[in-house]
Amino acid sequence: MKSIFFHLMPYPELPPDFPEQHRSVWVDIDPKLYDPAVGHRTYNAYLDQLEFAGQCGFDAVGINEHHSNGYGLMPSPNIIAAALSRNCPDTNIVVLGDSVALYNPPLRVAEEIAMLDGITGGRMIAGFPVGSPMDTIYAYGQNPATLRERYHEGVDLIRQAWTSDEVFSFNGNYNKLRYVNVWPRPVQQPHPPIWIPGGGSVDTWDWCAAEDLVYCYLSYFGYKAGLRTMQGFWKKVQDLGKETNPFQGGFAQFIAVADTEAEAWDLYREPAEYFFNTCLHVYAGYADPPGYKTPNTVRAGVEGMVERAAREATARREANAADAAKAGAAKASYGSKKLTFEAMVEKGYIILGNPTQVTEQVHELATTMNVGHLMVFSHFGNMDPELVKMNTEMYATKVMPEVAGLFEDEYEDHWWPKADHQLAPVGSRAQ
Amino acid sequence: MSAATPLAGHFAPSSLPYRDGHIGLVELGEGPTVGYLHGMLGNPGPHAVLEQLAAAGHRVVAPSLPGFTGSSEPDGLRTLHDWVVATSEVIDVAGLTGAPLVASSVGAMMALEVAAVRPEAFGPMVLVAPFGLWDDDDPVADPFGTTLSVQRAMLTEDAAASAAFFDDPADLPADMVVEHGVHRYLTRTAAAQLIWPLPEWGLAQRLHRVTNPVTLVHGAKDRIIPASYLGRWAKALPNVVSTHLVDDAGHQADFDQPAQIAKIAAAAFA
Repeated sequence: MKSIFFHLMPYPELPPDFPEQHRSVWVDIDPKLYDPAVGHRTYNAYLDQLEFAGQCGFDAVGINEHHSNGYGLMPSPNIIAAALSRNCPDTNIVVLGDSVALYNPPLRVAEEIAMLDGITGGRMIAGFPVGSPMDTIYAYGQNPATLRERYHEGVDLIRQAWTSDEVFSFNGNYNKLRYVNVWPRPVQQPHPPIWIPGGGSVDTWDWCAAEDLVYCYLSYFGYKAGLRTMQGFWKKVQDLGKETNPFQGGFAQFIAVADTEAEAWDLYREPAEYFFNTCLHVYAGYADPPGYKTPNTVRAGVEGMVERAAREATARREANAADAAKAGAAKASYGSKKLTFEAMVEKGYIILGNPTQVTEQVHELATTMNVGHLMVFSHFGNMDPELVKMNTEMYATKVMPEVAGLFEDEYEDHWWPKADHQLAPVGSRAQ
Repeated sequence: MSAATPLAGHFAPSSLPYRDGHIGLVELGEGPTVGYLHGMLGNPGPHAVLEQLAAAGHRVVAPSLPGFTGSSEPDGLRTLHDWVVATSEVIDVAGLTGAPLVASSVGAMMALEVAAVRPEAFGPMVLVAPFGLWDDDDPVADPFGTTLSVQRAMLTEDAAASAAFFDDPADLPADMVVEHGVHRYLTRTAAAQLIWPLPEWGLAQRLHRVTNPVTLVHGAKDRIIPASYLGRWAKALPNVVSTHLVDDAGHQADFDQPAQIAKIAAAAFA
């Protein structure tokens, strides 16, 4: 099993009363809350953490794209990947990914990933998300009714651009290009592995199963809650008579490891509560724009993870309003009922414990969900950099070796950069 | 006219073939034909304004645009141009060419777009709170960056007025409850497609072509398009017969105050 150190890059200094005083961390977050000096410090700290993870031996580092929010400071993951490409010369980079429908034309994604693949010598994995409703519909003004069609057309364009050895014309519904000619070409041929992050759309299961793409469920809610979604995907693979190769699956999980369980409970409480109660403080009105889901997903009653986060935040807000009303308060705040750290751990949102306990749970996650690519959140919320370092190092040295062999003998990972196709670091990066 | 499709349920008692699918249709009353082009709530069955128009002595024909209540999903409708052609076609398929028209909200916007190309498609028009204009100093609110309950409150002043769309009949079979939920979602999707992210597609530059007599109506408590837009429309359209600000009515005044809208329409079409 591969372990990918994944970073969401949240803004770490939102005020403690943010959930009470502000409606949403996403879309209409108060611009005045952003301090450029904090941003400067944070970007560099996060890049240090990603580089450190590479040095610790993680199989890859991972990043993604979000807009107009305090949840993640990466409107352009390719810029972060570019910074990493020079400082992590031996590490694979998962961009999970570029929200294809937001690029005009999406050819830009094909070009930038090809550039990154050239710089890294063939260590890129390209993820193509539809993008969250907050990012695509509200922050970037995409029409929800046509977003998915635009997205699929964009992915099709990128794949054709990478694989065609001729200049060609692309006559799409949203992209009209007389001359398509990606220059540079990716090092990995025919193209870098493609992973599709999903949030529960049944049509994405169908698509990934049919096209042999990696389906990555980037859930906030851990392996216990994510099981149904991954089972839905594997059922589609089975229905097509294909092999349920665990390396065709990916999952994200918050990990909190320390020398002892007691120490873990003590160390990770604050960053976990910051993440779940502040970074996920999303207004429910931004979670489910009409048209974002396919009719099949609506019919199946599948709830997206952002929708779930917003629904749970709203439930807490309403409970708080009821309490305020009982207490005779003049005005209820946006929310003060908090998700407790104990609940996060109990429900499996966070895998916590000493190395042995964490190893057992990661093993259970991988085998029950049949997942060969684990996106590890060793950083979350406003975690102190020293604690990130400890969490990262302990996972890399005490957990990862215990789970690295999972699935490796039985299955081939067709969706990973091939070491024998990679080019060695050159120039000042050559060792 | 074909039988009701399984998907249409009580939203559309009948349907007409349209391209590769169908459009839902509600038809009520006897007398001179009047068309009704729905707003964001679609055309959820024989709702009150249709009954009121029929009671005033009209044969009311109310087609649902593609994707809206009772119609099949829009196929190949991506641009405003696609939608203008589709709306024009629906008017013809429903037998409404040249007939007087009551149109609301997104339907009123589409009626104006069609009339700008083809004024003869309609007779006199009664337009309830059309989308299509935008003033930076007095912007149209976002009806989609909200929860469903807030959106419902934005659409009508009285929540009960939109029950035909939002609330299923108690005796609806369980499988139809699911399908109605899907249809509500598709209706809201189709409305979003027409007006997202901002409901301004250059219509103001085309309005000089709309020579039809127009009666303008606006809910005084419209929480989506401010009532001040009534004056903007009156100034922008070349042939406005009268304007009416309706008390105790929200964005879809045709749902909040159906009797008043029918009365205004009867006078406009007399």
